[in-house]
Formats: sequence, structure tokens, C-alpha cells
Amino acid sequence: MGKKFIEVAAGVAVLAAVFASAPLYVPEALIWILGMSFLFIVIAMSWDLVTGYAGQINLGLTSFVGLGAYTSALLQVTSRLKGTPFEFLAGQTAVPVELSLLAGGVSSALVGAAIGGITLRLKGWYLALVTAILPIAFVQTTYVWKDVFGGEEGFTLPAGLAQTPIGKYYAALAVMLLSLATMLLITRSNISLRLKALRDEPELAESIGLDTVKLKILAFTASAFFAGIAGAAIVNYRQVANNDLYDVPLMLLVILAVVIGGSGTIWGPVVGGLLVYTMKLWWLKGVVYELVSSTGLPINDDVILYAILIALAILAPKGLWPVVNANISKILRRSHIFPR
Amino acid sequence: MISFENLVVLLVYGATLSGVWALISSGFTLIFGVCRLLNLAHGGLFIAGAYIGLSLIKGFGLDPLTSTVLSMIAVGFIGSGVYTGLLMKVKEHEVTVVIITLALALIIEQVILLMFGEHGIIFPPILAGVVYLGDVPLPAMRIFGMAIALAALFLLGLFVTRTRIGREITAASQDVEAATFIGLDVNRLFIVTMFISSLLAGLGGVLYSQIYAANPFLVLKALIFAFAIVILGGLGSVKGSIVASFIVGYIMTVVIMFLGARWSELFALLIIIAALIIRPSGLFGVRE
Repeated sequence: MGKKFIEVAAGVAVLAAVFASAPLYVPEALIWILGMSFLFIVIAMSWDLVTGYAGQINLGLTSFVGLGAYTSALLQVTSRLKGTPFEFLAGQTAVPVELSLLAGGVSSALVGAAIGGITLRLKGWYLALVTAILPIAFVQTTYVWKDVFGGEEGFTLPAGLAQTPIGKYYAALAVMLLSLATMLLITRSNISLRLKALRDEPELAESIGLDTVKLKILAFTASAFFAGIAGAAIVNYRQVANNDLYDVPLMLLVILAVVIGGSGTIWGPVVGGLLVYTMKLWWLKGVVYELVSSTGLPINDDVILYAILIALAILAPKGLWPVVNANISKILRRSHIFPR
Repeated sequence: MISFENLVVLLVYGATLSGVWALISSGFTLIFGVCRLLNLAHGGLFIAGAYIGLSLIKGFGLDPLTSTVLSMIAVGFIGSGVYTGLLMKVKEHEVTVVIITLALALIIEQVILLMFGEHGIIFPPILAGVVYLGDVPLPAMRIFGMAIALAALFLLGLFVTRTRIGREITAASQDVEAATFIGLDVNRLFIVTMFISSLLAGLGGVLYSQIYAANPFLVLKALIFAFAIVILGGLGSVKGSIVASFIVGYIMTVVIMFLGARWSELFALLIIIAALIIRPSGLFGVRE
């Protein structure tokens, strides 16, 4: 445990140092995007926790992102709860932001445990089927109960993670680093060995006496918890609660980040998430705009991202990182710097 | 109280909705039962049927019937193209197939949004006019659409049980390895299955847009209803999905008539959860 703990601490410390000093040399406009991408990374890591480690395809992780987001938002804008079973909260004062983040994580974890409890007992395809449609159904709740969730426009939050953009940036960084450290410790513990056994040899894992259903539900619930925290942090970062956090496009963006970074590593989604999110928010729209105005094709930045995802899934099913890694070591070996 | 008129409308509308969904979900479950592929782009093929058909009418001035047939066949070829071009190489990797088809569904949704906008389209019906059942007026296309759907399902049944290639497909669905050993070209069978499954989705899309209205968001929403039907009917069982279509179709008709269409997705989710708790293998489930 000691050595692993030092490894985790060293990795997180390096990352913290790099990003904590970023506002010194990164333009202010980019700082906002970086902060958002930290929170996006938390979602990507939590997907890796359940898919990369436990081997369970959760296509509905964004439903937990959205649940955490709306829980946190509604605890702060309590007047919207009038006429719901939670009406007793409507008159109360707003919950502090930090506490509402935690509440977002807990509510997602509870719903995650319930959904995991139903689907993970069943063998085969049911998890993928059920989770794939959860986001679509959850988006619909925001239209059905429009007075509470605000439909497509959503609603604004008064407080926010911090007063200033820089303050928000550091708050987002803190949320990411805390989540990263926790998930790294989980995945470097004995639980993760069991999870990997479950992923690679489900029958064998069961035959040596592992309670596979319990393990799967545990991983699923933990992943839902972090997704909920991330969703809650995002609404407080941009101070708008909106149903795009439930939706399938965000899910695919998360999958793309993990595929690019490589799954089953936790570090992979950090790299992939940073790449994908800054690409989407920073320069991809401009490139696609040029492409569309010169060719007239019916495409947008999302179409390009999905096409990249399909190409990667076919050409590098284990993720981009193992391919890059293998090629780097090949080149190094050939250059006789690191002979075998 | 429900009046007699309401009851007739409910019975007929429910049967039409069920018939159209039976087309969509039987194709979806067929491709799963035979190839073990979870095709999340099935809703995309369904809606592509409607938009291709409408483009044929607007672009080439075809009549509704011809464009219905042509767009069905076009969607069939798109489906088998998706299989040979994207899925054939990765079909052993379940996660990859699911990710690719989900991404494909969203590409189809976005491209339709960019080309046609977000408003629903209405396809000129093959059969216009109103039919009277007693004193109750009913759009003729609802009854005709139901008849077409049932006829197509009947033909599907004949194809699977009476033709050689249909029996070969059944053999492959029961045991792929054994089918390979006796010399069947399994890959060709999968391509044919994908063609038929997409053909049914395309027909479903054209009928849907003639009876109701098609919009790009149905690419994903269709999955909720299709999943509710196949989980209730049992994954991989075509017979189960047809029976379940009528159960889900009537529940949806009641929900839409008495609560409003925006509730239908949530009720579909409730059906799924209830089915998974009470009878996870569905009414006619295939054992894994």
C-alpha cells in the first residue's frame, strides 16, 4: 500500500502543480474551457471505473451526471420544488454549494445502486440496453415536469462555485484532483484486482467465490457517485442547470475521451478528456465551419467527433494510447537508445 | 366514462401503432437473434426511411407508393452496407458494436437536423381519405398502414420458415458454429439478415411518417419503445416482439390519449423496469 500511495500522491501532485500554475501563462479565455474540461475529465474517469475496470458497459452514465446536477441546482433554487414530493424543502434557505455537490453525488449513487441492482443481476445485454435509454428517458422528465426542471432552457443558479472565474477554475481543479486521487486509490486497491478478475474471466471469478453481483453494483454505484459530483460541479461552474447534461451527445463525448486515452487506467481519461473537451470547445467549431462553408456538406462538429469515434473504435479498439505507446517503444528500440 | 366512439378510436389507433412498432422491433430483434448484434442505429434506419422517401417525392416527383418501395430498399442496402463496412470486422467485440452503432445513430440524427431542420415532416399518404366504422370517422391510412404492417410481418414469417435462405438464417441463429460446419456462408446470411431487418425499419419509418409525423429526434426516442418491446417480448424472439408490440402499443395509445404524448417515454421506461423485475427473460426469451 505504501509504494502505491506514494505513486498516486506523486502523480496527482505533478498534475496539481502544472494546472495550478496554468493561469500564469494561459490566456484567460482558455482558463474557462480548461476548468470545464477538468469536470468533464471527472465524468470520463468515472466511466472508466465501471467500464474499464469492472467491464460493465454503462451507456447511461450521463443520467447520473444530470441527476447530480439537478439535485445540486434544486437544493439551491428551492422555490422550484413547489408542488413536488420535496415541497418541504421549498421554504428552506439554499444549501451551501459544497454540501450541494455532495448531495448531488449521493443522489446519483442511490439511483445508481437501484438501477444497478435491477440490471446487473441479469446476464448479457440487459445492462447495455437499459443504460442506453436512461439518458433519453431522463431528458424527457425535464419536459414533463417543466416547472421544476425548466425544460430545454433550464434555469440559472445564483451562487456558483466561486465569485471569480479564477476562483471557479481552482474549485474545478480541486474537484478533479480529489476525484482523481480517490479513484486512483480505489483502482490500485485489492477491490480493483477483484474487479479486473470479474472483467476478464467472469465465470472463473464467480467460481473462486467472488460475489460478482455485489462487486458490479459497488463499481456501478461508485461511478454514479463521481458522475453526480461532476454534474453538480458543472452546474455550479457555469451557473446554468440544463438538460444537455443528461443527454446522449455528452455520453459519446465521454466514450471518445476514454477511447482516445485508453480504458482501464484512470490516467487515460485524464489525457483523453483534456484533449477532447478543449478540442471541441476551442478550435474544432472553427475548422468545421471552414469545411462546411467551402464544401456545403451537411455536417457539424458533433458529426466529426462521432466519425472519429467510429474510426477509432474500428481501428484501435483498445484505445489510442496503447497504439501510440507501442509505436513509441518501437521507435525507441530502433534508435538503440533503449535496446532490449 | 369512455364513449363508444373513443373505444373504437382507441382499438383502431392502438392496432395501427402496434403494427408499425412491430415492424421496427421485429427487425431489431431479428438482427440480435441471428447475428448477436445490438444495433443502436436501428432507430436511425427507421427515420432514414421516412426522410429518404420524402426526398424522393420532393426531388424526383415520384408518387407515394413508388417512393415507399424505393426508400425501403434503399434503407435495406444502407443497413447491409453498415454491416459490411463497419460492423463485420468488430462483431465479436460487444462494446465496440454498441459504441459504433450509437455514434452512427447520432450522426444520422445530426445530418437530418442539418438538412431538414427539427420540425416534423408529414409524408403524403398512399391512401388518403376517411373510412367510417359505424359513425366513427377514421383516417384510411391508419387502417391501410396496419394492413401493410401485418402483411409484411406475415411475409417475414413465410420467408423465415418456408424459403431455403430463411431456414439457413434460422439455423445460424440457433448455432453459428454448427451452421459454419455444415457449410453455410454465415457472413452472407448476416448480410441478408441485416438487409431484411433494415428493410422492415425503413418500411416502418415510411408508414410512421404517413400516419403520424417523423422528426429527427425519433432516431433515439425510437430506441426506448423498441427496447421496451424487445425486453418484454424476450431478446432475440421475433414472435415475442410482435406480441409485445401489441401490449406496448396499446399501453402507449392509452397513455397518449389520456395523459399526453410527452409521457410515453417514461411509461416505456416503466414497462422495461417492470419486465426486468418480474420476468427478465421476457415472454419468449432466447436463453443465452
